[in-house]
Amino acid sequence: MAETTASSDASKTYRAELLICAGTGCVSNRSFKIRDALEAEIRQRGLDDEVRVVTTGCQGFCAQGPIMIFQPDGIFYQMLTEEDVPLLVEEHLIKGRPVEKLMYVPPEGDEVVPKLSDIDFFRKQRLVVLRNRGLIDPEKIDEYIARDGYRALAKVLTGMTSEEVIEVVKASGLRGRGGAGFPTGIKWGLTRQAEGNGKCIICNADEGDPGAFMDRSIIESDPHAVLEGMAIGAYAIGAKNGYVYIREEYPLAMQRLHIAIDQAREYGLLGEDILGSGFSFDLAVHRGAGAFVCGEETSLIASLEGRTPEPRIRPPFPAQSGLWGQPTNINNVETWANVPVIISRGAEWYASLGTDTSKGTKVFSVVGKVNNTGLVEVPMGITMREIVFDIGGGIPDGKQFKAVQTGGPSGGCIPESLLDLPIDYERLMEVGSIMGSGGLIVMDEDTCMVDIARYFLDFLRSESCGKCTTCREGIAAMHDILADICAGQGEPEHIDLLGELAEAVSDASLCALGGTAPNPVLSTLRHFRDEYEAHIRDKKCPAGVCRALITYRIDPDKCKGCLLCTKACPEQIIRGEAKKPQTIDTEACIKCGVCRESCKFDAVLVE
Amino acid sequence: MIEQITTESTNGKIGAVMVLGAGVAGIQASLDLAEMGFKVYLVEDQPSIGGAMAQLDKTFPTNDCAMCLLSPKLVDTARHHNIEIITNAQLHKVDGQAGNFSVTVKKRPRFIDEDKCTGCGTCTTNCPVRNIAHFEEVDEIGQVQLDEEDSQTLQEILTRHEAERAAVISVLQDVNAHYRYLPEDVLRHVAHALKLPLSQVYGIATFYNSFSLVPRGRYVVRVCMGTACHVKGGHRILQALERTLAIPAGGTTEDKNFSLEEVRCLGCCGLAPVITINEDLYGSVTQAKLPKILDRYQGEPVAAETTTAGADDG
Repeated sequence: MAETTASSDASKTYRAELLICAGTGCVSNRSFKIRDALEAEIRQRGLDDEVRVVTTGCQGFCAQGPIMIFQPDGIFYQMLTEEDVPLLVEEHLIKGRPVEKLMYVPPEGDEVVPKLSDIDFFRKQRLVVLRNRGLIDPEKIDEYIARDGYRALAKVLTGMTSEEVIEVVKASGLRGRGGAGFPTGIKWGLTRQAEGNGKCIICNADEGDPGAFMDRSIIESDPHAVLEGMAIGAYAIGAKNGYVYIREEYPLAMQRLHIAIDQAREYGLLGEDILGSGFSFDLAVHRGAGAFVCGEETSLIASLEGRTPEPRIRPPFPAQSGLWGQPTNINNVETWANVPVIISRGAEWYASLGTDTSKGTKVFSVVGKVNNTGLVEVPMGITMREIVFDIGGGIPDGKQFKAVQTGGPSGGCIPESLLDLPIDYERLMEVGSIMGSGGLIVMDEDTCMVDIARYFLDFLRSESCGKCTTCREGIAAMHDILADICAGQGEPEHIDLLGELAEAVSDASLCALGGTAPNPVLSTLRHFRDEYEAHIRDKKCPAGVCRALITYRIDPDKCKGCLLCTKACPEQIIRGEAKKPQTIDTEACIKCGVCRESCKFDAVLVE
Repeated sequence: MIEQITTESTNGKIGAVMVLGAGVAGIQASLDLAEMGFKVYLVEDQPSIGGAMAQLDKTFPTNDCAMCLLSPKLVDTARHHNIEIITNAQLHKVDGQAGNFSVTVKKRPRFIDEDKCTGCGTCTTNCPVRNIAHFEEVDEIGQVQLDEEDSQTLQEILTRHEAERAAVISVLQDVNAHYRYLPEDVLRHVAHALKLPLSQVYGIATFYNSFSLVPRGRYVVRVCMGTACHVKGGHRILQALERTLAIPAGGTTEDKNFSLEEVRCLGCCGLAPVITINEDLYGSVTQAKLPKILDRYQGEPVAAETTTAGADDG
């Protein structure tokens, strides 16, 4: 390996390392400013020989950002500001006293939990794909190599045939993490066997599902894992070219990917004659332009070819004829990132994780109405209850849990009665949802399930490419019915009509977008029919969301007359004297909810 | 190849007709004439018959599928014993008088033995040159000229993506980033430079969410419409912004300071609800925080910050 930019600090040892999270979430909470302040303070105190500040990729615990981990003690600091820096350096670095007030306090307790390894959010996780998260600087290839990076690639190139690699991946039981769960090894084998001049592989990083950000996080925290996985895949399949199709909404991930590719090229890990093995492979990054349907593989190929991304009929499958007519293998970011671990630790080890049909781990983004929002990696087969309540820390503000939505717009909602269901591809399918890319959106009693169904159909309506009439018109028709129900104009026969439309849309649409589009409606109808009935029959929105069906009222017993809501109201229709209960002019109210948001006494009621 | 087409007949008139142009009108005329017993020579400039209708999705006013109407006629034309199709050809010379013309047709070479070709299409698939636009009927540029600055900008963008096999999306992204929208004149020049029909470039420009055909404001406020943001009231934030800025989503304020847009998911679900203003990201936004956030973007444009602004100081 060429000794080029290998910096001295990879080998030098330090008394302490401050690992600052530089994922998108923490960066937006000024983590770079904090790093600069820390470095300045450390230099000023003359500690720069003993202490090092490292910016890492996303640590997953976005809700508590900006996050810093103090090594070697493993102390977890959260919600840092620049003002905390002098105190932190003075107390912890100089006097050796960890700063309690910057540590994590679990939602139900008041005792601080100093160590990362003791925090529930991290404790139940099993890191395979995210093995390097928060431990390395994603912009330095040396740190990846120091954690055994590219060893799997070397192993493959020096001692394994392509067929052996495919056999290992098959034996590991790895299935596509993009959502459909097709066995990866079989897919690779099909592309390998396909006839054609030149083959190509694609990494699908067009993470379209709203509420999912694992692919962004993997690329931001460990881009080389994806590159190594792709290089191994290319060797197994016999491809010389690869593409990463990444969303343009992820500028930081894109930047890190470019840096990683440049470094890998410089080290001879991409390009001609990799590691002197005679195998050549190179990568190009393609920036998406914002179209959900590009997650579908034939659309993605059309987009790469510079066309409007309309899916086409399969067969021929991309494995037979994909990009520019070449046999093409497309896998999701997380799938690629799994590959190096499978190669280096063996198929048997990987297959020991998970359930009968779904092996390994899965990365989920746990978001919505849950205390610990963030990214978690858990073994397949874990129950939804463990994710939401043990790792996620339950529902904030003592509210009641209602459902978890999985699988994005193609998925469904899982009610409380099914919380103990072990998560794998098949079991989720049985209850009317899908694994999808791994977004878990937790919903509480304040979430209206009819509104959620309407929301997803609104999303799909605008993202349908319009090729198939059933998808283009059918989704719009279903959306209009749901919008009517939310507006209080629902009729009892609407529910049957929705079911009928759902069948037509899913049967007669070409790609998975239309095929799964009715899922949000069907699953909410299945598990939350009472809410639909309340909207239609009683013209009430039990969760207090649908604007046409609710009124805001101030509880005179709770109102202290602080006038916060009066000042916030955009229509100036909250009246009353100071220090006395206020009243809302319900006729003129536009139901924006500002009053409820601003009230500190929970005095604004929704009915 | 020059063909002389003359037919002698006794009364000085001949039983053959030449139809120029094999669009739907020419095809229908040929079919009618052929049924009436005339020998028809159907001459078409393009390599194949069908004309504009073959490129349309629907026909006015019935919204019928264009190809469904046209393709049976194409087949009939090709099979009719009285019709001889001469494609890839142009009228060269006409002699004679009404009733008995002598016509010279100039046929461009196909470099293919047409008698042996089965029309399997393998040659098209294997040809290394792509994007030959056969249907480029209009000159995409026409009279539209770019001023020096614009044409230099475009040239730079085109050079940057020269090596890419399908550069159109990358080029449009860069144009969009430069102008904050896709000006029509530039689009025409992009189509011309990449040898693509303007309709295809327009199709791409209108399909993808990140392109805009109308000028946008100095600051683009994007409200995340992801599920996590929706559950946490992202739609209320959008409504509040619509009220405050007095524009609907997708609109731009009169002073061209703000544009308001919805965006699918920004992938910062841990900070929901999220908005971005140009490059700056704001998390955990509430309606009450909005006026303060917007205040920062009044007046002169601030230099782009290297880091994004904080969520808690809004």
